[in-house]
Amino acid sequence: MDVSREIAQRINRESRIVATEWDGILAGLLAEKYDAIIGSMAITPTRQESVDFSTPYYHSGAQLFVHRDNPDKVYSISECNGLRIAVVLGETYQHFLEEKFPDVEVVTLKSAAEIFAMLEQKRITGFVTDRLVGAWQTKEAGRPFVPVGEMLYKERIGIPVRKDNPDLLGQINTALAAMEDDGTMQRIHQRYFGLGKTSSSKLGTMEPSVIATKLLKGFAVSLGIALAALLLGFVLAIPSGLLLTFQRGSLKPLHFLVRGFVDFIRGTPVLIQLLFVWLGLGLSPFPAAILTLGICAMAYMAEVIRAGLMSVDPGQDLGARALGLSPLDRFRFVVWPQAFRIAIPPLMNCVVALLKDTALVSIISIPELIREAQSIISVTFEPGLYYLIAGLMFFAVTFPLMKLSDRVERSIKAKGFAHD
Amino acid sequence: MIEVQNVAYTYADGTKAVNDVSMTFPEQGIFAVMGLSGSGKTTLLNCIARFLSPQQGAILLDGQDIQDMKEVDFRQQVGVVFQHLNLFPHLNVLENMMLALERVQGRSKSEAKAEAMDILKRLNIGELAANYPAQVSGGQAQRVAIARGLALKPKFMLLDEPTSALDAATTSDFAQWLRELQEFTSFIIVTHDLPFAEQTADQGVFMAQGQVQEQGRLTEVLQNLDRC
Ligand SMILES: Nc1ncnc2c1ncn2[C@@H]1O[C@H](COP(=O)(O)OP(=O)(O)O)[C@@H](O)[C@H]1O
Ligand SMILES: [Mg+2]
Repeated sequence: MDVSREIAQRINRESRIVATEWDGILAGLLAEKYDAIIGSMAITPTRQESVDFSTPYYHSGAQLFVHRDNPDKVYSISECNGLRIAVVLGETYQHFLEEKFPDVEVVTLKSAAEIFAMLEQKRITGFVTDRLVGAWQTKEAGRPFVPVGEMLYKERIGIPVRKDNPDLLGQINTALAAMEDDGTMQRIHQRYFGLGKTSSSKLGTMEPSVIATKLLKGFAVSLGIALAALLLGFVLAIPSGLLLTFQRGSLKPLHFLVRGFVDFIRGTPVLIQLLFVWLGLGLSPFPAAILTLGICAMAYMAEVIRAGLMSVDPGQDLGARALGLSPLDRFRFVVWPQAFRIAIPPLMNCVVALLKDTALVSIISIPELIREAQSIISVTFEPGLYYLIAGLMFFAVTFPLMKLSDRVERSIKAKGFAHD
Repeated sequence: MIEVQNVAYTYADGTKAVNDVSMTFPEQGIFAVMGLSGSGKTTLLNCIARFLSPQQGAILLDGQDIQDMKEVDFRQQVGVVFQHLNLFPHLNVLENMMLALERVQGRSKSEAKAEAMDILKRLNIGELAANYPAQVSGGQAQRVAIARGLALKPKFMLLDEPTSALDAATTSDFAQWLRELQEFTSFIIVTHDLPFAEQTADQGVFMAQGQVQEQGRLTEVLQNLDRC
């Protein structure tokens, strides 16, 4: 963070910090979501194929950390055969361990917070991470973890930028050189990794009011996205549902188009759709989230509307015809009102599913509930508690919806709508 | 007057349901189309109600071939109540009646409401106005469906098996009720229930295997059947 602020200042650029998941971080860079990554990324030949790296700004390496109690009595990675060693998903250590120490059982976790929680409970023997980063995180979190053994290997940490952006690369390299020369880099290192210096930890605690605000704000974002996606999805679902049901004459091509699209959406993971819209189509996170979840809701709701239309007794249309009503009036006043009532309970279930799917958009760095929970957990290291709270917040909204849906369904049955 | 002239109807699967049938429905009174199940009564009714087009013969309403009539005109002159009634479950009784008054006859909402209420009262079922179809009994539903058809003041009213959901006691009440409605329209009742036909109709035909077996005054038709 300090390095990034310092560099931004020196190259006269506005630094806007974008939080994102580690495992998609390079993809985001290539998709121009941000211009550089300052986050202890090791320079590797594979990565160099897709991005350019600045000159290394520090040297570090892979280090094994274990619990101070060290119940497995290991003092180097070579003693870890058959033991569980954790790494963060997507980091270079994973491949390194799998290649060089194939007998170690590598456990891939999503974040340092998860690793720390696991090691605290002694469910893993230790973890491998960057020596400096690991030392800093352990100290700041006040965890009883210690580095053991030699560094597994040494690596150089650089700042990746896109290959089409040599100007920025040059500016960053100049800034790094200057920071090295005037001792800024030295000071930053001292502050973060300085040995023996015990600073009173700002991490590990968070004001309950701050936590509550974060959770509520996150949930408001989740609900807002769900609502926007719901509106979009519903508006699109009605014509789509009609086209799925009626396939006469000139509607035929449209029918097959919608049929294919709906099948495709229903048959692919929402996560892939989300990443496609975000990175593939290059939309910014909020529009990408609303569009993806909206289209997805549309597909499911269109099916529900189709099923509703199909389950209206054909005798209803006939009865309306016997009274002389025009085809449009028959649909408007007789068939559709019944189809829609039949569709209400399953539509409400779609809303529940949509609400739950908002959790996925945390992956494209939208500060919704899950992401806020993760950010709280990264400070408090209490994943059990905060994921439970986040789950309960969802449940507080979905549970009444599910109950309501049951009641509506019963009342519709009692009124004798759908024929079966 | 409705004249059925040499009508034949064969379904797509080859079933000859109505085979060269002729009959005349008078301007006044209650006419029964009787016959055992499967004898072609409903098929004939669907031809008269223009839901099926006979492959042979013609059906004339006051001398005009019904195939040549405009849909709205035809529907306002010939009403139908199907065996399953097909009341609209999402509308209450009054709204069931108002729909055609508003949408087909172009009445205003308040006019339609007053008219519908008036008919319900004259048919002695005014107290059902606010009920939904699921809240009324089988006999009441039958009456409501007839009332709904009568709202358009058709010349003829076709009823398919009106007693199928009624028990014996309610059937004679219903027959009595129906006889009082003759001032509104003339009825063509399709039924396999001969005692009911006897209680209501003046004239009738008895169909068997898609053809007319007996025809004439109801008492005579039933007597001839007994002899067979
Ligand atoms: N939609 C249909 N397709 C084929 N055959 C039918 C259809 N409806 C009725 N039928 C046949 O036509 C004959 C007459 O049926 P229907 O007119 O319903 O008789 P009814 O009303 O007197 O019981 C029966 O043999 C019946 O099986
Ligand atoms: Mg029948």
